[in-house]
This record gives sequence, C-alpha cells and structure tokens, in this order.
Amino acid sequence: MASVSFQNVEKAFGSTKVIHGIGFDIHDGEFMVLVGPSGCGKSTLLRMLAGLEEITGGTIAIDSKVVNDMESKDRDIAMVFQSYALYPHMTVADNMAFSLKLRKADAKTIEERVARAAKILNLEPYLKRYPRELSGGQRQRVAMGRAIVRDPKVFLFDEPLSNLDAKLRVAMRGEIKALHQRLKTTTVYVTHDQVEAMTMADRIVVMHDGRVEQIGTPLDLYDHPANLFVAQFIGSPAMNVIEGTVRRADGARHVEAGGVFWPLGNAAGSDGQAVAYGVRPEHLGLTSAADGVPAEIIVVEPTGAETELLVQAGAAQLTLVTHGRPQVNPGDRIGLAIEPGAVHLFDQKSGERIAP
Amino acid sequence: MKTPTWRQVSTEAKLLLIGIPVLIWTMLPIYHLFLFSISPKESAFAGKLWPDHPTLHNFEVVFREQHYYLSHFWLQIWNSLLIAVTVGVLTLLVATSAAFAISRLKVKGGRAVMNLALFTYFIPAAFLAVPMYKTMSTYGLLNSQWALILAMVTIAAPYSIWVLKQASDKLPYELDEAARIDGASPLQLFRLVYMPLMMPSLVAIGTYALLLAWNEYLYAFLLLSNDRQITLAVALGNFLAADDSPWELLMTVGLIYALPPAAIYYVFKRYMVGGLTAGAVKS
Repeated sequence: MASVSFQNVEKAFGSTKVIHGIGFDIHDGEFMVLVGPSGCGKSTLLRMLAGLEEITGGTIAIDSKVVNDMESKDRDIAMVFQSYALYPHMTVADNMAFSLKLRKADAKTIEERVARAAKILNLEPYLKRYPRELSGGQRQRVAMGRAIVRDPKVFLFDEPLSNLDAKLRVAMRGEIKALHQRLKTTTVYVTHDQVEAMTMADRIVVMHDGRVEQIGTPLDLYDHPANLFVAQFIGSPAMNVIEGTVRRADGARHVEAGGVFWPLGNAAGSDGQAVAYGVRPEHLGLTSAADGVPAEIIVVEPTGAETELLVQAGAAQLTLVTHGRPQVNPGDRIGLAIEPGAVHLFDQKSGERIAP
Repeated sequence: MKTPTWRQVSTEAKLLLIGIPVLIWTMLPIYHLFLFSISPKESAFAGKLWPDHPTLHNFEVVFREQHYYLSHFWLQIWNSLLIAVTVGVLTLLVATSAAFAISRLKVKGGRAVMNLALFTYFIPAAFLAVPMYKTMSTYGLLNSQWALILAMVTIAAPYSIWVLKQASDKLPYELDEAARIDGASPLQLFRLVYMPLMMPSLVAIGTYALLLAWNEYLYAFLLLSNDRQITLAVALGNFLAADDSPWELLMTVGLIYALPPAAIYYVFKRYMVGGLTAGAVKS
C-alpha cells in the first residue's frame, strides 16, 4: 500500500516533448484512472512510473521516495499489459511464480501465494496449462494473478481490457473493481475508454496532448467539466455543444446561434460573449414546437430501455436521450425542453468553463 | 473416397513430370556413391546398375582401418565430429549473445556491428583463406584444431547473428518489460525467458554451423596438416594423391561421412525449416 506522487513530470523523445509538466498525487489505496485519446501521453506516464521509460524532467515518488533512478524491480510495483505478456513457455502456475522465484522466495511461500491468487481469480483448474491453451479472459486473469502474488505497493494496468470482446470486457471490469475492493492496493489504470474510467475509478485524470485537463471523481467530471475537452470526452453519447453569443431577449438571457435562441437559465456569461453552449443528451426533453426550442427529428434509434433521437435545430445537430418511447417520426417538428441548471457554458476561445 | 477431377489429375501429373526427373537427377550421384561402396574393387567401374556380387567388404576395410589411407579413420571422424560440435556450440554462444544484445538490450551501435559482420560475406570465403592462414600463423595456432574452429566460427557467425536477430525481433518486447518488472536481471532474462523462446532458431543455427564445419574442406586442408589432426574430409582428399586411388573405399567413406548430416537434418527438420525461414522475411 502506498501513495504515488507526480511532480512537474516531463518526457521528451529526442526533441519531441510528449509530456509537459504533469503533477498530481494518488492517495494510498486509491483506484486512479488515467484516461484520454490515443497519443495523449497516458501510457507514457504509466511506463515512467513503472520504470520502463526514462523520466526527462520532474520527479515521481512512491511512498514519498523518489524513484526516478530506481530500477523497475526495486520499485515494488506490478504491471498488467494490454497484450498480457505472459511467458509462453511457462505454465500458468510458473507464470505467476516467476517473480517470487527471482526473489528467491522459498517453495512453501510460492505455493501458498500462487494458490491464493488462483483462488481469488478462479484459476485453480488451469494452473498446469500453458497460456496458449487459455481464452483471452483467462489469460488476462493470469496476468492479474502474476501481479497479485507479488503483493506490490502499486498495481499498474495498461489498457488491460482492450484485447477482449465487449461482453468479456464488462465482466472483467467488474472483476478488477472487485479485486481492488478486496485488496485495497493503490492502482493506476490507463484506458482510452471513458466508460471504463467512469465505472471503475475513485478518481480520474483526464489527459490531452501531454497535459492534465482535469482531475476529479467520475461524477464531478461529469457534472462540472472544467473545459470543453473534458465535457465532450466524458459521457456517452457525448455532450451537445453549440457555438453562439450570449444575448438578452424578452427579459431573459439566451445564447443565440444562427437565429436559434438557447435558454441560459441562471448560467453565467456576459452579454455579447462568444461562448460554447453545452447540454448533455439526457438533459434535453421533448415538448411541443411552440413551447421549446424548435427542432426537426432526423433519426429515431430505439434501444429498448431508452430512445436516442438525432434532431436538427438551426444549423446544429443534437443528440437527445429519453427513457420513454416517444411516438415521433423523422421529419416531425418538435420543441426541445432544456432542464434549467443543466446547461454548461464555456468560453469559445479558451474552452474554459464559465462559472458556475 | 472422392474421385479426383481431371483438373486435379493433370496438375498432379505436371508436378510429377517435373518432380521425378529432378529427383533422379539429385539421387543419381548418391546412388553411384552407394553402388561403389557395395562393389568389389574389380567391378567398381563395370558400369552396371547393380553389381553382380554386392559385398560389404569395403565397409569392413574402412571400419578396421585396413588400408594405408585409412589408418586413422576413427581418429579422423572423431576430429570431424569434435570440430563440428565445437564450432556449433561456439557459434551459438557468440551469435545468441550478439543477437540478444542487439535486438533486446538495444545496445548502441549494435546494428552497425551486425551490418559490418554481414559485410564480410561480400568477399568469398575462399579469398579469405590465405589471410586467415596468415592470421592463425601470427597467433601460433597453425597445426592446432583451434585454428580451424576459430576460422569456422568466424565464417558462420555473421549469418547466425543475423538470423537470430531477426527471429528475436519477433518476440514481443512486453515480455522483456514484464520480466524486468518481475525482477529479472538482463542475464536472468536471457536465460529464463529469451533462450527457451528462441529454442527453435537456436537448434537451426547450431545445426547450420555444425554442418558448415563438418562439410568444410578448404580451410581444414589449409589450417591442419598432421595426419592425426585432420578431419575426415581432408583425409578423403588425400586419397586422390595416389595414381591408383582406391575408389571403392573413397566412396564408402564418402557415404559414411554423408550419413551424420542426413541424420541431423532428419531429426531437426522441423526446426530447420521453421528457424531458417523465421528470419528470412522482414516483417
């Protein structure tokens, strides 16, 4: 169990700088997810923590001990790779025991630890098998087993579920989460999938172009995205964003975009300011054309539990999610009702959130 | 069973039409070798497809060393074996370490060294024989079997390094990283992860170097001269020094000499094909 601290960490490959001074702390026992689009530097950051990449600038500390110049094996971490990286010539048991054998643990300890890990991960029937004889999910569990027998200070996961099919991914997501709740080991988990991030994390670090965009709990990021990037990255389907100008009309404040007036409610923003107006699909409701923002239905996608509608309002296309089963058809003219207080407003130029 | 279609039959026939002559063409000298070895001396040149009185007498003469040229037969075949195995082992040692350093540890300048080594193949080995002779004389190794061993390792190593490097490039790098995190030192990585996974290529390269040394004539002829040190290949060459060469014995020894490579090839066939083509295509 340990805390991890990044301070002004930088990474450059030759003259190309890929990480620009990142700093944050991970608390003891926390499940921290690094999320961002591919190429944002999240994997590089994890690999620097693992000791697989040199640290160009700044410091990384595990349990307040700076590990910049420490070998991977001395950092007391365990890592699960996307490709599993199981040793193909060793049985499941040998794969899990490998690190303990290298540390010259005695046979009894090795046997106990491997048995315990196999029990936790339901791998007991497979201990004598080779990785090639296992399914993807089983291999992933062996990779996790290899990590937990070590009883390390920190678990590192590098996109561990990307190679699995959708159904298995959801199941393994639950298993990893349950494992963390059971072991309470500090975990750093890298993924590009925001759903994985939202469902698993205690806290999320959203990264983009080698910088941290926002750090917070999943719902915090969802409810109060600090900028346009986070707003559009977190949430599925993504937040609707309309670019326009703040105006006062009929005694109320609106954002005007191409002749359409979007109600602002009590959101901030000064008159004449160029803004990005954001509203999540589930905060849009259907009403009559006279009452709401006038729009036309383009596509109706019922999924059973909910219905997704694609609508056109002025020049903007928006997604709307409703739990009901509205009786509408493409071409219908409807009105969009927008929940007051559900509007996110961002500065158009900087992309920063305009308080509150 | 399904009746083959005309198309299948004609494809098969075409292949056989090419295959059978090629097979006969390659097998003919070997058959000749065999024929000589079971013919009595008088009828060796009779030009028959099967001798009138086939005999194993030649083998008896060879195995009992009952001829002037064969007085050290067992010693010389032992020399051949010793040198070939040593060359195989040394080449493996050199090439595996080099490939590991270049491909996995990514030592700076490693690729340049490999390319330089490959560059030596631009000059035919035969041209290098005399410089090699001079080198060995400088080191005082002439008339020592080490001279031949070192020379053969030098010749076999560049190709071996290249093939092993290509093969090890295909091992996923995450394995090394996983092992490093698990606590393996580079040597443990080499011994516990790299070597077992490279086994097919190692067998192929070991066999390649071994056979190269076993079949070598020119260097062996140049670097060894003492009758008790030469390999059987050189001893065979000495048969031709006489006006009246005992052809049937020459052929018998030739046949015996060809058996170990055939056996090795047969045993390691699986690895040879897989291993030697493993590095063939850059992927």
